[in-house]
Amino acid sequence: MQFAAGAVGGTLLTPLPWKLADDSAVWSQNWSWRPSPERGEITKVPSVCTLCAGGCGIQARLVNGNRAILIEGNPANPVNEGSVCALAASALQFLYAPYRVTQPLKQTKKRGDKTGFQAISWEQAQTELSKKLEEIRGEGPHTVACITSSRRSSMDDLWAQFFNAYGSPNLFKMPSECDASKSAAQLTTGNSSTFAFDLENAGYVLSFGANLLDGCAAPSRASGALRRWKKDRYPVKIVQVESRASITASKADVFLPINPGTEAALAMGIAHLMVNGANYDAYFVKNNVFGFEDWTDSNGKKHQGFKSLVSSSAYTPEQVAKITGLEPAKVRELAKEFASQPKALAVWGTGRADVSNNTYHELVFVALNALKGNLKPGGLIGLAPKAPLSELSAQKDILSENSSQQPRLDLAKSQNCPCPQNGLYGFLDAVSSGPKYPIKLLMVHEANPAHCLPENKLFAAAAEKVPTLVSFSSFMDETALQSDYILPDHMALERFDDVIGIPGAPYGYYAVSAPIIKPLLDTKHTGEVLMKVASTLGGTVASSIPWKSYEDFLKFRVEGIAKAKAGAVIDKPIEISSIKAGDPVTSNYSDAADLFKKLKAGLCWHDAPSAVTFDKTTSGKLELACQSIGKNAQSSDDVIYLPHFAPLKPSGSESEWPLLLVSYSSPRVSCGYLANTPFMNKLIPDSMLAGDELFIDLNPQTAASLGIAQGDQVKIKTTQGEAGAKANITPAARPGVLYIPRGMGHKAYDEYIGNKGVNACQLMEVQLDPVSGMGTVWATRAQLRRV
Amino acid sequence: MSEKGHAQSNIRLGMVIDLDKCTGCGACSAACQAENNISFRPDESNKLRSISWMYIYQLDNKKDYPDYKIAYLPRPCMHCDADHHSPCTFVCPVNATTRDENNGIVTHIYPRCIGCRYCMVACPYHARSFNWWDPTWPKPMTSMLSPEVSPRMRGVVEKCTFCHHRYNKARAKAYVDGTDPNKATYNPACADACPTKAITFGNLLDEKSEVAKLSKDPRAFRVLEKLQTKPKVYYLSKQDWIRNLADNSLT
Repeated sequence: MQFAAGAVGGTLLTPLPWKLADDSAVWSQNWSWRPSPERGEITKVPSVCTLCAGGCGIQARLVNGNRAILIEGNPANPVNEGSVCALAASALQFLYAPYRVTQPLKQTKKRGDKTGFQAISWEQAQTELSKKLEEIRGEGPHTVACITSSRRSSMDDLWAQFFNAYGSPNLFKMPSECDASKSAAQLTTGNSSTFAFDLENAGYVLSFGANLLDGCAAPSRASGALRRWKKDRYPVKIVQVESRASITASKADVFLPINPGTEAALAMGIAHLMVNGANYDAYFVKNNVFGFEDWTDSNGKKHQGFKSLVSSSAYTPEQVAKITGLEPAKVRELAKEFASQPKALAVWGTGRADVSNNTYHELVFVALNALKGNLKPGGLIGLAPKAPLSELSAQKDILSENSSQQPRLDLAKSQNCPCPQNGLYGFLDAVSSGPKYPIKLLMVHEANPAHCLPENKLFAAAAEKVPTLVSFSSFMDETALQSDYILPDHMALERFDDVIGIPGAPYGYYAVSAPIIKPLLDTKHTGEVLMKVASTLGGTVASSIPWKSYEDFLKFRVEGIAKAKAGAVIDKPIEISSIKAGDPVTSNYSDAADLFKKLKAGLCWHDAPSAVTFDKTTSGKLELACQSIGKNAQSSDDVIYLPHFAPLKPSGSESEWPLLLVSYSSPRVSCGYLANTPFMNKLIPDSMLAGDELFIDLNPQTAASLGIAQGDQVKIKTTQGEAGAKANITPAARPGVLYIPRGMGHKAYDEYIGNKGVNACQLMEVQLDPVSGMGTVWATRAQLRRV
Repeated sequence: MSEKGHAQSNIRLGMVIDLDKCTGCGACSAACQAENNISFRPDESNKLRSISWMYIYQLDNKKDYPDYKIAYLPRPCMHCDADHHSPCTFVCPVNATTRDENNGIVTHIYPRCIGCRYCMVACPYHARSFNWWDPTWPKPMTSMLSPEVSPRMRGVVEKCTFCHHRYNKARAKAYVDGTDPNKATYNPACADACPTKAITFGNLLDEKSEVAKLSKDPRAFRVLEKLQTKPKVYYLSKQDWIRNLADNSLT
């Protein structure tokens, strides 16, 4: 007994067990599984980011020239002025992603079976693709199609060149907010461009749902504008009009809550009060606007003008208040403020950079700015100028000439919309439902329609009808997984690319994105794959695409700028927004080679803004009465020519589907072709995601009426689909409306990225815009119940 | 030795964050993660287990729709300048965490840390995270680890260092250039990244520095000032509800 007690006491008193435990802890902490990053010389390589359309200058930090460890902003770039966003800051997680496609793959089993992918050589991949394209070309080249999300890069023009020479009209883009802006610019000014906003010089900003700070198309520029607005002396007043108390709404001085999708009604209401109170730029409107007064068409038929439409009883403050849910007094107050502020700018957007808007609503916002005189030379709205890059012109042979008789597949139907634009939805619809001609080969480039296209089931249905699907993705994403061939592109930081203009920016901008590092894997630039395929096809296809490398191709494009002696390279910090339309910008490069050298070194090219010109329209003025809409119109009502509030009704009845589901974007969630990175997942708040469950935002009032408490498991059902989620009760949500973040719910990738929440695109309804035929997304009827 | 109980230098590195400009975009936090080799796990939604040196708190004004407003408060380590000790350095039994009195940075030496987590309890700002597991990176991603910051091991606490490796570099460069290292300036990764330039960094004792001026701005406040921790991170806001949330009042 004594002995046992002594042993216990002795063991406790001796330091041995404690010492051993401590030693083992220290020892195991030093096990080799803790990585020891290789040391070496650290260098900085400048480039330009192409992960989104924002066009930021970046610089990469490399160790020993072969290992990238950090992406930072390039202080020399006037757009981001040294800053980066969360996506760019974590860009290396795409470069070193475990879910990258390491070499060309061919599906040998059923589509979607990961185990069926067989590694093939580039030689084989390119030969098989060329052979397929050659076979199809003999039978009719128009049966080849491509979907790309590239739109502000020379890659976009190279695709167009390839398709023109090859002979297919079926080249489509993933939807974008710019589509609607382009459509409105085309209709009102006759220019094939998009509207540009002088955010930095505005003195009062009225934003109709523009998600300036919630992940818009050019996030750096919007952040820069916010910084300028929030200056200490005479800060700029920001008014945000939308349904959700978003980040932009919180940063704004005034938040005007309205029913989702009724922004255009409010704009009409403001226009109504401005016109009736004669509180608009009458001089500009009288001299430069067509269709404000009643007008006569070429057949001598008289039509109603915008003035009589907007001043009608349909848009009185009381009517507008009824539609939007605001007080009539608020509408009056807002109209007075907007009309009286000298530098007031109305900006707009769907709140979702990668979704198009309703064309009529787009026209309403143009009209409101026209009344304010913002479209006159030197005004706050201009047209995005184009860098004078060398134009491409395809040579055609008999095959491509013949096939050019074939209409684009989305237009190959009896009734077409009057001003067709990017008709991706029409195309997918046609392919899946007995098209005029079949699509034999579909290529997908820098896009992931299987996941991030709203109503993504349309892509799945179309893909089923296509015998060969080729993906050029660098990553094993949802679309690549469904492909028959994957010909992996380099990741953005490993390849040459360029940035042609920044969405919504008034100044001319061009930058070359040079690779920061040699390609890590057995990948190939898609542009160079196209060049190789073209040369194999031979004839006019080969002679239309004569370049040997993508760098050569970019050199060729830059020659155009040098020839025009346009713009200048920015080699010292400047305030780019201080350059006015028509200001001289003296070129500071000697020739094309010098310009390319400077661009390759990470400097960007800029030019002065361009004023809106109206000389391309039939009337030679800004057309508020858009005569071209009348072409295929089914109605003879005068209102079809004019900007007006024309909501597209979501399907389903209100009694069966009492709630509305609206999707929103967050700057912390990447919702386009690129999935979130692990770093960005760390930023997702726990009110958005818990484990693999997504939260749906709803107002406390809505929650109370449904008997739902915070964190409850719920089932959301929309006219398009259903999903399980959790409830997040927040006063940021408008009563009766549910909000779902976009970009979640990936099924592909790895355990760090996949299976987190629900994909909003499977729940949202797409409605085709009657003017442009583009898919628009605003709200979907929904039910929510606790489970 | 001064009456504060430690040697005084004329460098006190500090930060001012303008909450009226902060949009909560997360760029600072992502840049910090990349700069400092911060580990991540497949599920980051449990914020008690998630390691973040620059955590972005969402604040709201507790009002109903439509008066509801949100704001974001990025929270690095406050590098408390309280007399004698910061709350965390006071409790550390092994001197793993100390304040460098030459510049005011609160440091944390991982190999010394025994994982007792007293400092985490002592820190009123939840600025410290504990490594419950050895960090792992999916295979290719170890290639993006920076050699300038050592990856941590299981069983140690970590927190924001004001990127002091960047400071050391700036001082070394000053030596080489023959200028005064004590006048060397630098920016931590978060301040460099911020798209609205809401983060200003520098020497609070240098009267001419932007950060010193801003820290004396009428809009400036600090979080939990009543605890007398004397944080060297200041926030700016014009909005009363945000200032009130900083919990400075005695009630």
